Amino acid sequence: MMELKILSACCFLMKRMGGFYSLQPWIPVLQTNSGPSLTGLTTIAAHLVRQANKEHLLGSTAEEKAVVQQWLEYRVTRVDGHSAKEDTHTLLKDLNSYLEDKVYLAGHNLTLADILLYYGLHHFIVDLTVQEKEKYLNVSRWFCHIQHCPGIRQHLSSIVFLKNRLYANSH
Amino acid sequence: MGFGDLKSPAGLQVLNDYLADKSYIEGYVPSQADVAVFEAVSGPPPADLCHALRWYNHIKSYEKDKSSLPGVKKSLGKYGPANVEDSTGNGAPDAKDDDDIDLFGSDDEEESEEAKRLREERLAQYESKKAKKPAVVAKSSILLDVKPWDDETDMAKLEECVRSIQADGLVWGSSKLVPVGYGIKKLQIQCVVEDDKVGTDMLEEQITAFEDYVQSMDVAAFNKI
Repeated sequence: MMELKILSACCFLMKRMGGFYSLQPWIPVLQTNSGPSLTGLTTIAAHLVRQANKEHLLGSTAEEKAVVQQWLEYRVTRVDGHSAKEDTHTLLKDLNSYLEDKVYLAGHNLTLADILLYYGLHHFIVDLTVQEKEKYLNVSRWFCHIQHCPGIRQHLSSIVFLKNRLYANSH
Repeated sequence: MGFGDLKSPAGLQVLNDYLADKSYIEGYVPSQADVAVFEAVSGPPPADLCHALRWYNHIKSYEKDKSSLPGVKKSLGKYGPANVEDSTGNGAPDAKDDDDIDLFGSDDEEESEEAKRLREERLAQYESKKAKKPAVVAKSSILLDVKPWDDETDMAKLEECVRSIQADGLVWGSSKLVPVGYGIKKLQIQCVVEDDKVGTDMLEEQITAFEDYVQSMDVAAFNKI
C-alpha cells in the first residue's frame, strides 16, 4: 500500500490518481477518479507507470517485458504473504544466483521489477546480519545499487552493505 | 589505485574482486570511469571472473552512448581499489597537467628526462622488492567463553577437550576460570586464528560437540591483530 503511494510519488504524477485502499492485507485497490477500480499490486503499479509516461519501466523489448512480468508475479506469489524465514532465505539464495551476471533484473536498465522487488524485500534485508549480507553478495550489490537510484528509496531506511573480508569463508 | 595490468589475469582478478559488490567502477550510474576501464580490457573476461564478466556485458550495452556518459575520463591509475599499486605510473599526461604546480620539478628539460628515468628505475626496484616480501597473513585474537552445565562439571577435563581441538591456523593461548555465580565457573580461553583458515562458527561447532561438558560457547572478544 505504502509502496504504491511511493510509486506514484516517484512516477511524479501531477494529479492524484484516485484513492488507495486495501481489501485484505495483501491486496490493494485503486479507485480511479474516472473509470473502474483496479485490484492487485502489479496491476496498479503497471497502470501508474503507464499513466506517468514511463513505459520504459516495464521493459523495452518483448523478452524484457516478459521478464519484468515474471518478476512482478514472483513478487506477489513468492515474496508477499511468505513471512517464514526459511522461505525467504531460499528465495534470497535463488535471487543471488540469478543476479550473478546481471546488474538489473531485466535487461540493462531499471524496471518496475527492480523497484517492486526492492520494496518487497526491504523489510527482510534490513534485518540481515553482516555475514548474511555477504553470503548473498549479488543480492546485496543489486540492493545497494537500487536504493541509490534517484527517487526510489523515498523514506525507507538506507541499508549499509560492508564487504568484510573477516567473514569471507568462500565466495 | 588502479587495477594493475588489465590485460593480465592478475589485473582482471583485481577488477573482479573490486566489482563483486559494485555495479559500476564509480558511483551508481555508468560513467566515463567505466568507459576508461572497458577500453583497457582486451576482451570479455573469462567466465570464472563472474563479476568482471557481468560488468563487461553490461557496459557493452552502452556502446552507442559511450561519449555521452557523465564524468571525465581519467588515467586508469585513478580508479579501482585504494590498496593496489598504481602500475600505470608512466603516464606522461599526468605530469603535464598545467593546473598542478610541480613542487619538485626543475625548469631544465634535460634534467627532468633523467629524473623521470631514475624514478622509473626506482619504481621497478621497489616493486620487485615488494613482490619478494611474503604476503602478510590476516590474524585475529579471539576470547572464548565456554560454559559448563553445572558447578560439578570437571573444568580441567573441559579445558582439555577444548584444547584438543586442532586446526590449521589455530593456536590456543592462555586460559582462566571466571566465576559466574552459584559456584559455577566458565572457562575463558584465548586463541589466535588465521582469518582465512578458521572461522568462529567452526570453533563453535567443535566446542559445543563436547555435549557432556559444554553447555554453550560465546565469543567474548574478537580483535584483529
